[in-house]
Amino acid sequence: MICVGVDSGSRATKVALLDPAGELFLAAGAVDAGLKPEAVSAALLDRLLSDCGRRRSDVGAVIATGYARHAIGFADAAVTEITCHAVGVRRVAPDAATVVEIGGQDAKLLRLAPDGTVQDFAMNDRCAAGTGRFLEVVAARLGVPLDGLGALARAATAPAAISSMCVVFAETEIIGLLAQETAPADIVAGVQKSIATRVAGMAGRRVETPVFFTGGVARIPGMAEALAEALGAPVAVAPDPQMTGALGAALLACRRTPPKPGA
Amino acid sequence: MTGADRPLTMEQIDALCAARAASPRPDPPYPYAGPLARHVRDGDRRLLRLTYDGSPASVRLWNFLLTEDERLAQARAAGRRLVGAMKDLGTVAALAYAYPGVTAFYTDGAWWIPCVMEMSEGLLGIASAHGLGEGLCPVRAMLGAFVTRRHFPIPDLLIASVGAVCDDLSAVAQRLESLGHPILWWEMPARRAPEPGEPAVALPGGLRAPAAQVAFVRGELGRVRRALDGLTGHALTDAELAAAIRAANAVRARLAALRELVFTAPACPLPALEHQIAEMLAVHFCSDRDETLRVYEALLEAVRARVAAGTGVLPADAVRVFWVNPVADLRAMNLLEACGGRLCGTDFLFCHALDPLPEDAEPMEALARAALADPMVGPAADRAARIASDAVRFGAEAVVVSRIPGASHCAWEGAAIAEAVRGRLGLPVAEIEVPPLTDALAPSIRARLEALVETARARRTR
Repeated sequence: MICVGVDSGSRATKVALLDPAGELFLAAGAVDAGLKPEAVSAALLDRLLSDCGRRRSDVGAVIATGYARHAIGFADAAVTEITCHAVGVRRVAPDAATVVEIGGQDAKLLRLAPDGTVQDFAMNDRCAAGTGRFLEVVAARLGVPLDGLGALARAATAPAAISSMCVVFAETEIIGLLAQETAPADIVAGVQKSIATRVAGMAGRRVETPVFFTGGVARIPGMAEALAEALGAPVAVAPDPQMTGALGAALLACRRTPPKPGA
Repeated sequence: MTGADRPLTMEQIDALCAARAASPRPDPPYPYAGPLARHVRDGDRRLLRLTYDGSPASVRLWNFLLTEDERLAQARAAGRRLVGAMKDLGTVAALAYAYPGVTAFYTDGAWWIPCVMEMSEGLLGIASAHGLGEGLCPVRAMLGAFVTRRHFPIPDLLIASVGAVCDDLSAVAQRLESLGHPILWWEMPARRAPEPGEPAVALPGGLRAPAAQVAFVRGELGRVRRALDGLTGHALTDAELAAAIRAANAVRARLAALRELVFTAPACPLPALEHQIAEMLAVHFCSDRDETLRVYEALLEAVRARVAAGTGVLPADAVRVFWVNPVADLRAMNLLEACGGRLCGTDFLFCHALDPLPEDAEPMEALARAALADPMVGPAADRAARIASDAVRFGAEAVVVSRIPGASHCAWEGAAIAEAVRGRLGLPVAEIEVPPLTDALAPSIRARLEALVETARARRTR
């Protein structure tokens, strides 16, 4: 039987397939979230199953996580991203003590116990200023593709000071910076620094290392460095960070999937 | 968990009550009884979005809470003197109820009106129009209630503490006074620890304060007493005040017993929503001290029966959560339980109204000591210490620190309390913000509560 993790996020839907022992990564994929989370998740799952020559009847358990986790009707259970990212990161980084996850519309900081379970967590408040949404707004305003922001930020010479605590007002601030002919590279670097600073604020006075960075925003070059500077600690990007939540969900599904008869 | 022990909608509650009334053994009659739906017809539409405990005692609790405006109107019509006791949360009410012919009420309790009326009354909008915008606590709804005069009669005397109390309430009350509602202000100093060698007095809740501070508060309350004497034309005797303190303590003792049972029973015997409402009654007796006592006794009887039968209103493995600060949207309490949690301790910012008033001290001294034990007038560290101590006592597995947007105390104290709980107890803490309308924030609040419950469950197997 196959164990399935579905991470139905605000910006992207991710699905991971594992063998029941949780050892073999059978397939994984991500698509835009769309407006119908269950339909999008089901279509992605079916495509991944087809790609590896399997069918729905081969699926053991399905765990859904992410913003729309409760909307995934074919899942056996819904588990928060907090738990799933902790499980996913521990799989790829068994010594992880702190996990920072920045997604499309929220950011989280997890402290892990020595056994890998979540000891405590913090999430960003109401505003999306510390999340991937901030980067999307900047990319749109600058006319730069999202995945081109990192390269642009590398050219920064003096990161702009982005003082706003709110994405909407921050956009106004960016318009003002552009009007003052601030270099786009400096604006992007400033936004990355602003996001990192907000996330670091959730950590309080103490950050246990090693720190691992997951979520879609971790894929953007320069963010890990900005985060490391803000936290005052080295930050490693988890392998395939966008898939960490789905991986964790799939691993939790493995715990629910009964072993194959005779195995 | 079966039948009436399940969470029910208001419609189901009313159907259940109607069936009980038609049965051979109907529930005993009680004051303010009636279908809960009638309160919705009055405009409390948010009540339709809650789920309720089906016990007759809980229905009685709701009917009592939701008829306070009727009670106050009847009191005014009967010629009773109405006293609006603002901010001190319990002390002035205990004093005012010592007078014959006086009904005291929690004027600033109007902050709850938008929580149950879908904002259709526009009380917050009225407050904004008077310069009290979203930067302030929803207690600003009180100003709107004074302007519309639709929720309670204008009191004959308004009393408010000022100083080391809630800045938001002070701002709102000052604006209220500028609109032509005179207020008797009495000052509350910032409670501090006694200096070495300084004469000190023990306060309720295990606190201590300099004797000079207690004497000062006693003097201030003396002014309040003289004003009440003047209002009523009755010179209150210490014997009458002592009797009122004993009566207040009888109410508090019932609530203390209820809290102990609810927080310690293996299977949760009362939902979080009804528990929060029950605690709020103690502050000002919901304009009827005697009925408050009877409501508590009915709740105690229902809870004891559930505990004795081993039945609860939630699954037995619900995660034990200590809850800090009241919520502005009552759905948050339902949500805690939907996410797999249960209450096992609370600090709704008025612990001093739950502790017994000292009966071994002279009555005005007793009131002063109780007033100075207000968690809002002392260091956040004092409050955090009590929360940590109670969390241990009641076996909390996790802590929720709830904030009310604009409420200055919530903003400043939340982080300090969370840090103290994490540091001393190592418990997971979720900080959430619960505005009067949580609709837009519901997914975020739910995610935090679910994650907290998952985290606490994972710790069980560690």
